[in-house]
Amino acid sequence: MNAAVGAAVESRSSPLATLGRLVRRNVWTLGLLVILALLLVATKIIQPSYGPAGIQGLAISVLPLALAAAAQTSAVLARGIDLSIGSMMALTSVVSARLMDDQTEGFAILVVAGVLILGLVIGAVNGALVVFTRVPDIVVTLAMLFVWAGAALLVLNTPGGGSAKWLSDLTRGPLFTDWLPQAAVLLVAVVAVIWIPIRRSRLGLSIYAVGSDPLAAFRSGVSVTRTKIFSYMLAGLFSAIGGLALTATTGIGTPVPGPYTLMSVAAVVLGGVSLAGGRGGIFGPVIAVIILSLLRTDMTFLNVDTNLATVAQGLILVGVVMVGSLIQMRRER
Amino acid sequence: MTKWIRTLAVMVVLAMLAVACGDGTADTTEGGATDTTEAPGTDTTEAESPDTTMGEDDGGMYRIGYSNGGGVGNGFREEQVCTAKAEALASGEVSELVTIHRNTDAAGQLSDIRDLIAADVDAIVFNPNDPEALNPALEEANEAGIITVSVDAFVTNADSYNLYNNQVDYARLGAEWLFEQLGGEGTVYYMRGFAGHPADDDRHIGFQQALESYPDIEVVPSIDGVHTGWDPATTTQIMNDFVASGQYADIDGIWTSGMDSQVVDVIQQANLDYVPIVGADLGAFVAQLLDTDAYSGLEGAAVTNTAAVGGAGVNLALKLLKGEDVNTAEDAPQPNTVLLTPVLADNVTDDGNATLESWQVDGLDPLWPLGLQIEGFTTYTPEQAVACAGPGE
Repeated sequence: MNAAVGAAVESRSSPLATLGRLVRRNVWTLGLLVILALLLVATKIIQPSYGPAGIQGLAISVLPLALAAAAQTSAVLARGIDLSIGSMMALTSVVSARLMDDQTEGFAILVVAGVLILGLVIGAVNGALVVFTRVPDIVVTLAMLFVWAGAALLVLNTPGGGSAKWLSDLTRGPLFTDWLPQAAVLLVAVVAVIWIPIRRSRLGLSIYAVGSDPLAAFRSGVSVTRTKIFSYMLAGLFSAIGGLALTATTGIGTPVPGPYTLMSVAAVVLGGVSLAGGRGGIFGPVIAVIILSLLRTDMTFLNVDTNLATVAQGLILVGVVMVGSLIQMRRER
Repeated sequence: MTKWIRTLAVMVVLAMLAVACGDGTADTTEGGATDTTEAPGTDTTEAESPDTTMGEDDGGMYRIGYSNGGGVGNGFREEQVCTAKAEALASGEVSELVTIHRNTDAAGQLSDIRDLIAADVDAIVFNPNDPEALNPALEEANEAGIITVSVDAFVTNADSYNLYNNQVDYARLGAEWLFEQLGGEGTVYYMRGFAGHPADDDRHIGFQQALESYPDIEVVPSIDGVHTGWDPATTTQIMNDFVASGQYADIDGIWTSGMDSQVVDVIQQANLDYVPIVGADLGAFVAQLLDTDAYSGLEGAAVTNTAAVGGAGVNLALKLLKGEDVNTAEDAPQPNTVLLTPVLADNVTDDGNATLESWQVDGLDPLWPLGLQIEGFTTYTPEQAVACAGPGE
């Protein structure tokens, strides 16, 4: 994603220099893409019949996870962290499933719009609490994890509700060719449409500035308060889209949060976003999610004990991050 | 430096979260107890049937996928997966049982089932996290010619087969025994399972059916009962509160939805007289019923809620793959349903005691249900189930 922005901004300088700069800026993301490509080749070797159906399944299962990763990236870039993402997804999912149940397709458009606004609002609540109470992000969002999860159970105490057909159809099936799942197109489109304008705006710059050094940002005239609240609103918005994706792919709303918060942090770390804020992009975590999901699938093909697979996933995560930090340290020296 | 402290703090909280999440999902399962110990079996002899020909060639051998989406560490769920492995091994017709056994949500199980489709298995046996949410993946499986068997609960996908315990009967059998034991009148404490779970809903129906014939039975705290969440710790806490508040003195019997031995333990520790108790066929509870020394005066009955549905599901899938006929229940909510009938055994009759004795299995974890086999649907030995090893393991 940084690549796209970079290309647009610097299209006037010499193409070769631009390319060099792009590669240098996005080493981590490009590295992840290489890993993903290798993994796809490995998957094809392990399971020769792996084809369009497998890619489709992968895209659908990645969708909610990737949106959670995007949400977490929004918070972490501004030196925050949001542990309530899974709960926000559960809340927005049950609200949408309950409202769309037995309603017309047209009404569902209103529901989707309403749920997106709900995401912005609950994100704003998280952000406002962090900023105005001055309680650390991790504590506030940990508390809000329970608040939003409880709210989800109040809306729907057991899995249920429904999804509009057009919403479900958006995530299913291929587009143009069997090899291009609609879910993947949807994911890229949604993330790009939201993130690119923000990244290129003053606000995007403020997020990185606050994330790098809040004091310096403040002294340069950036409103830290506003920026942080906005980053949490963005996290809420992505969570709401993730919640809608859950409703769309399963056809129901589930009030008990899934493993999305933990997965989002893992993806952010693996995706090259510094937990200390201010460094990284949104596409790294998204690719990281695909890698983690594909690893799971490969473990299934190899019939590795699921518990072992979980251990392996953690070890890979630690390993990649350690190698990454080593590269970073050497470069800085 | 502060960055490091920050990062460390994040990691610690996340680790705690991971543990908490794990516990939360493990609780949401039927009847069985949550158990963190590993499956037993290392100390028992492995009885692998000599005629299994795995590894040689796949001629006539099937590959079966197994998906369990919750309750990792829960006795019921662990036994269910182990019986599936044992049946796959004992059948001699399965070259590989591709098992995905993890705590996840409906969306996660959707992706697990799609992974199994991509793994090119011949049949998928699964314990569904939701009756409807898995349908898109199940339709994809059916289109790919893969047979799908739902165990422990039904799914609404019309092409899937369903095989599960008749939970209405489960509750009715136990309740009728209890009401009969009380001579048709008295107050019963109604301890239910996990709110909203299909099995809990069905059991509630069965309990109310039994109640209709016994107008002089009063139910406390109300007809909606109290929910234990099928969680041992929650059960102990609820029971402790019940005893401490003195309410125990006013009741004549207890109906539990499978969180049974914890209730007995609380009464024993409080040094009170036992009232008749109904529970499930969990090892610990049956042991209490049979131990007249340590639990003198304890009268109770255990109703089978077999976790061998896993093995039976694999067996059913094989039957369908070979084109054999399967008897399905006419009155089930879904077509293609095989309902397993529960059995009750009490410790007040000789027959009951003999049945309870016959259920005992050496080396079985005390928090696993005892009913290890289902007539007509399982072919493994109890030792194979305890060993928990599939083909090629």
